[in-house]
Amino acid sequence: MAQPRILALAALATVGLAACGGGSSTGGTATNKPDKVQIACEGPFTGDEASIGAGALRACQLAVKVFNNAGGVGGTQVTLLIWDDNHNAQTAQTLQAQGTSDPTVLGIVGPMNSGVVLGSVTGLQSATPPLPFVSESASNVKVTDSGNSVAHRVNARDDAQGPADAKFMIDQGAHKVYVMDAKSDYSTGLADQTQKYLSDHNITFMRDSVKAGTKDFSTTVTKIKAFNADWVYFADEGPEAAPLVSAMKSGGLTLGNNINFLGTDGEEDPSIITTSQGAYDGAYATNITADPAGVTGSGAANYVTAYKAEYGPDSISQAGPFYGSAYEATQVLLQAIKNSPVKNGKISRADVLSHLGSDTFTTIFGSVKFDAKGDVQGGGIYVYQAKGSSMVVLKQVSG
Amino acid sequence: MDYFLQNFPQQLVNGLELGSLYALIALGYTLIYGILELLNFAHGDVFMVGAFLAAGVAALLVHNEVAAIPGGLAVGLMLLIAMGGAGFLGVGIERVAYRPLRNANRLAPLITAIGVSLFLESAVQVFVSPAPVLVPTNALVAQTVVHAGNVESPLTGLILFAASVGLMIALDVFVFRTRFGSAMRATAQDREAATFMGIDVDRVIMVTFFVASALAGLGGVLFGLRYAEVDFFMGYLLGIKAFTAAVIGGIGNIRGAMVGGLLLGVLESMAGGFISTQFQDTFVFLTLIIVLLVRPQGLFGQPLADRA
Repeated sequence: MAQPRILALAALATVGLAACGGGSSTGGTATNKPDKVQIACEGPFTGDEASIGAGALRACQLAVKVFNNAGGVGGTQVTLLIWDDNHNAQTAQTLQAQGTSDPTVLGIVGPMNSGVVLGSVTGLQSATPPLPFVSESASNVKVTDSGNSVAHRVNARDDAQGPADAKFMIDQGAHKVYVMDAKSDYSTGLADQTQKYLSDHNITFMRDSVKAGTKDFSTTVTKIKAFNADWVYFADEGPEAAPLVSAMKSGGLTLGNNINFLGTDGEEDPSIITTSQGAYDGAYATNITADPAGVTGSGAANYVTAYKAEYGPDSISQAGPFYGSAYEATQVLLQAIKNSPVKNGKISRADVLSHLGSDTFTTIFGSVKFDAKGDVQGGGIYVYQAKGSSMVVLKQVSG
Repeated sequence: MDYFLQNFPQQLVNGLELGSLYALIALGYTLIYGILELLNFAHGDVFMVGAFLAAGVAALLVHNEVAAIPGGLAVGLMLLIAMGGAGFLGVGIERVAYRPLRNANRLAPLITAIGVSLFLESAVQVFVSPAPVLVPTNALVAQTVVHAGNVESPLTGLILFAASVGLMIALDVFVFRTRFGSAMRATAQDREAATFMGIDVDRVIMVTFFVASALAGLGGVLFGLRYAEVDFFMGYLLGIKAFTAAVIGGIGNIRGAMVGGLLLGVLESMAGGFISTQFQDTFVFLTLIIVLLVRPQGLFGQPLADRA
């Protein structure tokens, strides 16, 4: 077991090295290496959204390990801080205070939830110097539209995803769509975007909201049936999908038969097939980032190999929807740090921030560059379908 | 109006099923309050632990394919372990967190109750699972859907309703028709006088905690069978709802808790079905406020004494 792991890591390290070689035009030299370099990985690693966060954290840890094995920043190993915000903006603020007060903390991978970003971004922006972050999954438009220079993300936005989701359903022949959200910044924002596109295209829809943590969906299912919906659209972080589709099934609504289901990023998760005892089979879900196991390209394929080698052959099925974008975001942040000048053994956050804005980064998904607001250029939306025990990529879509 | 008439029967069934679960948990609140005047805020979490015990037994049986034994037997084993486990947990909580404070300021046991609640939630989150856990119901009970006219319900929902109501009636008989029941009512009325009459008050309190918690454990099993999924935080909101049901019915009153629970379930289902899912809970708690304003002792409560 140890042998292939080392091989896979070595293979990935080569990719990483090549990537760094390409981008470090203004890189620090070995003679002037930084004393200490820290980054944080932030997300909901425990709690009800651990199914999203746990895989992202593993990706982050693996990316740092590979980067360090390849020499780190001019020979200095990067220290990874693990900030478990539990999908709670107040917890996030407390954790981030450690970073804003320590100048050797140079950036954050995350936060993962839009609500957490919106609730804590002010503190990051007003720090001296501001503490930049690269999110792998926060998709609410306000994340980058609020004029905060610290905000970056490698995933696509709600206003790209909503229309793409709506268009996908229309293309599949949707006439009556039951649009649901789970009352969070993320899910209501996204459901609004989807609803708008549906209404602009004269598709009948009905809007509903459910509480996070709901297990009894019988009331909702009765409404879906009374509305005679042919599609159910549910913008959700994930935990409510299994009880919903189970209730639909016992209410006589079978996916792919007399109803279709489209979920969003958090629902692009094969574990829902297990927890719904197969009721989720046939469901569609879109993700704001690619699944490395589903795209072509040697970078992504090597990463999947390395991830399995590091965390076990079955680990991908539990990796959640963001293990690819989390790795990508970590690669981006580490390259921006590596590209920043070292002055008296120190790297300034201000320099990291400006390199994040100006450089082009090489990642497992190809090259990445941010626009002026911090959004990734050409971020894609991908449609997946639950088949057997996994989520299979169908195609890339847009609105 | 047509929409209302067409969907009302189905939403009523949905509401009664959910309500019977609330009632089952509400009974625990009301029993313990009746005896000790203690709000056992850990009760919702005892329910959660019961549900996890049931899920654990189910997973073990199904995983080892012991479920080739008839589903009924597996469910029986789940009931036994979940109800027994929850019952003893309740007794343990009383021993550790409430008994030492029986003569203390009334706020003290309220605080320990909240402490126990947080402890149970965190312990299950850390040691068992932070993510929802599957109860493999497909292998345990028939996934039949029962139809009657244009109303339908999964078989497990009917089991939930029937078992809850059956147990509530049994409890009512136990409290009002048996010798031990009179001892419980005596303890509720006046603990000291009951002692003088030769009633072992400690034993009565212990049994009350066992019965209340075992009912919560039963609720956990039924919940698992109906919704096929349990998580560490599920006892929190359900506990608050059940507590609300107990208060609406008149806390301390057993029949009140039953009616309160069913009423709350139906209210929630109607509010969600015909007004707005978003404001579902708003209506539920608005009802609580109105009931408390109009009838502070609750629907079935008596102003003082003669509780239980």
